[in-house]
Amino acid sequence: MRARDRYFDDADPSSKRCAGRRRQALTAALVSAFIGWATAAVAADTINAYSIWPENWARPMLVEFETATGIKVNFLRFSSGEALARVIAEKNNPKVDVLFGGPVETFAAGIKEGVFEPYKPPAVAALPARFKEADGYWTAIADDPLVFMTNQKFLTENKLSAPTSWDDFLSPAYKGMLQMADARTSGTAVTRIFSVLEVNGRDEEKAFAYLKKLRANVQLYTKSGGGGTLPVGLGQAAGGIFFIVDALDTKAKGYDVVISFPKEGIGTSAEAIALITGAKNPDAGKKLIDWATSPAMQGLFAKHKINFVPAHPEVKTEASLAEVLRGAKIFAIDDAYAGANRKRIVERWVTEVLP
Amino acid sequence: MAILRLRHTPASRHRPSWSVDPARGVTLVTLWLLLALFVIYPLLMMLAAAFLEGGRLTIAPLLAILAKPSHRSAFLNSLLLGLLVGLIGTALGFLFAFTVSRARLRPAWTRLIDAATLLPLISPPFTTSISFIFSFGPRGLITYDLLGIKGANVYGLASTLAAEVLTYFPIAYLALRPVLSGISGTLEEMAFSLGSRRLNVFHSVTLPLAIPGLANAFLLLFAASLADFATPLILAGNAFPVLPTEAYLQITGLFDLKGGAILSVLLLVPAAIVYLLQRSWVARGHYVTITGKVGPQSSIRSVTPTARRMLLGACATVALFILYLYGLLVFASLVAAFGADHSWTLRHYQVIFTEGRKAIIDTLIIALLGMPLGGLYGVLVGYLVARGQGAGRYAMEIVSMVNYALPGTIVGIAYLIAFNDPPIALTGTAVIIVACYVFRYSPAGIRTTIALLQQIDKGLEEASSSLGARSSTTFRRVTFPLVMPAFLAGVGVVFIRSMTAISATIFLVSIGWTLITVRILENMTELSLGPAAAFSVFVIVVVMAVMAVLNAILRRLPTATGEQMQWGVGGG
Repeated sequence: MRARDRYFDDADPSSKRCAGRRRQALTAALVSAFIGWATAAVAADTINAYSIWPENWARPMLVEFETATGIKVNFLRFSSGEALARVIAEKNNPKVDVLFGGPVETFAAGIKEGVFEPYKPPAVAALPARFKEADGYWTAIADDPLVFMTNQKFLTENKLSAPTSWDDFLSPAYKGMLQMADARTSGTAVTRIFSVLEVNGRDEEKAFAYLKKLRANVQLYTKSGGGGTLPVGLGQAAGGIFFIVDALDTKAKGYDVVISFPKEGIGTSAEAIALITGAKNPDAGKKLIDWATSPAMQGLFAKHKINFVPAHPEVKTEASLAEVLRGAKIFAIDDAYAGANRKRIVERWVTEVLP
Repeated sequence: MAILRLRHTPASRHRPSWSVDPARGVTLVTLWLLLALFVIYPLLMMLAAAFLEGGRLTIAPLLAILAKPSHRSAFLNSLLLGLLVGLIGTALGFLFAFTVSRARLRPAWTRLIDAATLLPLISPPFTTSISFIFSFGPRGLITYDLLGIKGANVYGLASTLAAEVLTYFPIAYLALRPVLSGISGTLEEMAFSLGSRRLNVFHSVTLPLAIPGLANAFLLLFAASLADFATPLILAGNAFPVLPTEAYLQITGLFDLKGGAILSVLLLVPAAIVYLLQRSWVARGHYVTITGKVGPQSSIRSVTPTARRMLLGACATVALFILYLYGLLVFASLVAAFGADHSWTLRHYQVIFTEGRKAIIDTLIIALLGMPLGGLYGVLVGYLVARGQGAGRYAMEIVSMVNYALPGTIVGIAYLIAFNDPPIALTGTAVIIVACYVFRYSPAGIRTTIALLQQIDKGLEEASSSLGARSSTTFRRVTFPLVMPAFLAGVGVVFIRSMTAISATIFLVSIGWTLITVRILENMTELSLGPAAAFSVFVIVVVMAVMAVLNAILRRLPTATGEQMQWGVGGG
């Protein structure tokens, strides 16, 4: 009751109101100072991008870009399916200028939706055909082969050697122990499924028969392409199929994993960049595309320990990465075929394989 | 999401003179416009997306969705999970509430139990899920390293259920504690002295009196589980799909807004049933009041020393397990690479304050914008409901509860559909996230306002208006100070949810405005476990600090009633 009395005994309400005003003014000042601090970093020229590359790879590259050009890139990271879905949803009112990174099937699917603006950066002159879209709808910034990655301790305990054939993953030893990406959200998964189609001579029935058998050994389909790498590193899963960039990063972090390649061959997907139709700042967006497709960016992969294979012929593949890739049979996914069939194949995978 | 509901008994004999006051009219109209825009309109747009095709009403897409076995099983799985979480969570909540109210705990034990039950209520999603992933499974710290089990599976019903029970049972505990304290010990004493055995007393006196409270707790947990998106996303795996995650994947992966909308409508049916059940149950007035008189307790007699030890042992085991899960999280945030390189490092914290700075700042700005708006909105709606007349107040009460009662996935999808294109294009702005929080998490403030105003005689305000004050003045000078605790409760809940919610806002983040919780999910799926854990620890520390401040203010208020801050916290 004492507190209540104090309140009602407050004889001079005007002084209280004054105090209230002062408090309000103080609050306003604090809030504006906070917002000032929060927005202080906005550079003169700014572009927005959705990045399909994880933060670990995208951020150092885009920071280097800002250092080189003074253009700041605001970016938000999504898995490729999510990023594409967003770009399509925002078609009438684009929120970003550039779609950065991600396997080309995603970009091929985007062309059909009319979300990209053709632009040919200077680098296209030097790039082989599979690293550029003929009309300039996208251009490659890196190449990213898939690999098999397995947990060393699991292999030892089960007296297995690292898998060297797609069929090795069908062994009962792996039952319920594989993790790989979910085709609904991840481009890694789409590249994987198209790899299976290629090694089966694009015979969809055979490919899906394999994928269904593989399903029995899958513990979890992850939302993101790299989502299974940590469980494999920890031994919570025995192995999986990942992009080399994620697999080598797992190894670099200290997890005891083995990287191997199937003798039938495995797909590689070019990582691309594209300008968004209706971009608010197309000129700066084009500068990012120029920079990312050139040796200026791809020469920095090694410095930041990013294990993408450079797309530009003038940039040498870093020695240890080249060593991992030596002897591996790697083929490119035909982006025209993949783009034309992506939606249908993914839907078939969702209905027939996933459940 | 626990909210103490009360039966209101409006006894207005006098028609107050301020009912035709212009300020009140303007407030009423403004609030209705806002409710129409941010509650009714999105919901209608979502129903339209689900059931309209070329201007015609059709249920063909609904049938197509239901024809898919995976969607049917997702629907049944959601119900099964909700049912189990409701039953087990209520039982666990009852165990805790009974132990705390009857077993004469030493303060240290009470502190342990309070800490363990508070943590899940104020954590970002995924926190228990992360620790579960590392504790169970083929190489789990518990299954493999401790118990030596090989080939254990961590994905599926069992782990999702366990994680959700641990996350949500504190809601049941908070809802049941006042119920058990409210059951007068004298009754138990009487039965006991009349020769009943202890078990009989429990059986024939304590339990029957607690049944309405148990039913309420069950429904709250059922709804929380039904709405939970984060736990199943991490733990359910592919063999146990549930509706919220399926709807999310349908939209974000396949960009099938219509399919997502339809899956959400499926979710809407059980959610609405549970809400109406709970409402009618509690409206019958079985419930104790928010300040429920704590009668003399029969603690001396209601449990034997052996039973006391068993109760305490059970609670301590659960509490310690929860603390272990959080300890693991802190550990993961402080080592270089969990499971591979356990050298101590602060690098992950450095990462969240540099690379994660934008998410932290965005989240704080959104929370700071949402707090006063949510608090004010809650108090105004609560005031109009408690002090208004006619059918309009009930309509306002129900509409204001809609976004809260619906699973977050539905609200998020509805907002995405409604505000993606003109005339009201709000996606990409902070407004849409703030609005989502304000209209979804203010019912806590509304409820507390109504409860407080029912305990305060109208005469105070009438005295003010009969002395010539306008209604706005009366509200500002008389009513508002009286409902200050409700305002603070509203502010607190909006803040906590701004820091921890994900199910609705994952659809609403944009290049300009991102959120810590979304970054945690991103980090989780990208091998960046360290930053995910560091973000989670950061959120928990900030929320605890803010709650401590708000509680301190609350304690100094003349009308404060200690525990109200905790009501309304929790859930997806």
